Amino acid sequence: MKPIRIALTKGRLEKTTVELLEKIGYNCDEIKNKGRRLILSVGDGKFEVVLAKAADVITYVEHGVCDLGVVGKDTILENGTSFYELLDLGFGKCRFALATKKGHDFYSGYNTKTIATKYPNVTRAFFDDKNMDVRIIKIEGSVELAPLVGLSDGIVDIVETGSTLKANGLEVIEWVTDISARLIANTASLKLRKKEIEELQRKLEAVTQ
Amino acid sequence: MKRYTKITPEGTKDFLFAECSAMDDVCGKVEKVFRTRGFKKVITPAIEFYDVFALPCSGIMQEAMFKTVDNKGRLLVVRPDSTLPIARMVSSRLKNSLLPVRLYYKQAVYRNNPTLTGRSNENMQMGVELLGVKGIRADLEILTTAVDSLAAVADDFRIELGHAEVFDALSENLDIDEAYKEKIRVSIEGKNYSALNNLLDKLEPSNAVSAIRSLPSLFGGEEIFEKALKICEGTKAVSALEYLHKIYTSLTVLGLGEKIIVDLGLVQRNDYYTGIVFSGYVSGIGDAVLSGGRYDELLGEFDLPMGAAGFAVDTDAVTMLRLSDNNISYSDNPEVLVFAHDGCEMEAITEVAELNMNGIKAQFSVLPTLEETKKFASERGIAQVKEVKKV
Repeated sequence: MKPIRIALTKGRLEKTTVELLEKIGYNCDEIKNKGRRLILSVGDGKFEVVLAKAADVITYVEHGVCDLGVVGKDTILENGTSFYELLDLGFGKCRFALATKKGHDFYSGYNTKTIATKYPNVTRAFFDDKNMDVRIIKIEGSVELAPLVGLSDGIVDIVETGSTLKANGLEVIEWVTDISARLIANTASLKLRKKEIEELQRKLEAVTQ
Repeated sequence: MKRYTKITPEGTKDFLFAECSAMDDVCGKVEKVFRTRGFKKVITPAIEFYDVFALPCSGIMQEAMFKTVDNKGRLLVVRPDSTLPIARMVSSRLKNSLLPVRLYYKQAVYRNNPTLTGRSNENMQMGVELLGVKGIRADLEILTTAVDSLAAVADDFRIELGHAEVFDALSENLDIDEAYKEKIRVSIEGKNYSALNNLLDKLEPSNAVSAIRSLPSLFGGEEIFEKALKICEGTKAVSALEYLHKIYTSLTVLGLGEKIIVDLGLVQRNDYYTGIVFSGYVSGIGDAVLSGGRYDELLGEFDLPMGAAGFAVDTDAVTMLRLSDNNISYSDNPEVLVFAHDGCEMEAITEVAELNMNGIKAQFSVLPTLEETKKFASERGIAQVKEVKKV
């Protein structure tokens, strides 16, 4: 039987996921000493792990070349379409927020508001729910800069501690949604390899609750 | 101005040689199943009026449809689905037909998918529709046809089976609006447990709410029914569950064992499907390759209410899977290349026909010299060159 292939988001989520996998008894030495290898065996060859950028984790799982994935809810909200979201892994917690310059009344006036963000789809959905037309500008780097230099009225971004906002004279005026790491599964894989995937899901659930 | 003379539009492609042979093979095998079961072929136009697909229950987003206008300014779409045009056709051309009507189709559907996702915008589909009858016999006929179709083209497959009324019955008495209900449905469809729990935690606790909470996890074999009946006790979902159990038990006769999965979280297109719903999965393809169900409300939208059920197979996906299988060869190389010396062309052509009749793949060489013919044969990997000359 082919090993179950799991796509892991590189970086911060990777470390905690590896800790979880070790906690449920899977050997993760190959990931820890990966060198330049991209496909790594985990837990006596029952599983295989590939490391990828967050949005690519979703792509690999959607196309079924990876059976499972560990990825942040932020990436799912921005890029996700069709897969199963099996489990809230409970780590990598942060929130999406709408922020503006401190003291600025965002909703005042009749002008169409401009929002700078790295997450245009999340932003669009948030304002769609309010039946509010906004102009969205996609920014690749530090979004906090946009309202400061007058490019936008506000930003929609991930907020963990809020210290970057504070340091730049911005404040949260509304929370958009909570974010944490999720276990996702390809729809066909869950049907074709039900037992193995459910077993892993149960074990992970037990150590994350 | 840049001229796009040498590429195809995004999401489309040319099919060459082995790809065509593989597609013909797959379609031929599925078609044989359909025809044996007594389904008759229909073809609908590639373009239709937008109105045909704009029904609230159709579930096709308007941004996914390729649109154009006719010479009167009426909105047209390139067919994104074949069932709705067939419903249109049945409600007019087959209005007085003897029921049931068994139809099948083999035609491409077109969807304007987001770019750079690797999805095709043009997809060959084959499907059947069984119209004019409701009830378990019709459902069994459709389901076993689906099983036979998949079995004809793939060894390792699963059919998952659900019932639209389970969710409908559980959710109908909840004090929520349509938008909230849709959010619940989407989180069940995506087996998104945490989102589902968040949504349900805001509702008054009841049997129905706790039953809905467990819907996405209710998938597996026969044991699911016992669990589900206990959870749904006292709700209207019970009769749908009992019906589904009867279907499941009947299908066990086929000896498919674990190939048939019950999934009560199968709630896709719930405005469209009214009874059984099912999807087919094949090892090696990340998405469902077959999907269908019972849609008894649809024909009513075309003013001819009647029971209807059907399914469609994504034959492109199956074709790609078979092409990547090293155990299946779609080589169309001839075994013999027949070269005619001057004046013997017609004899050589007759010889080719005879060889082919005897089961040897032969081809007439149209190159002018024996030398060029031999060179071509060796480069193409054709084993034998046969000469025809005057005796």
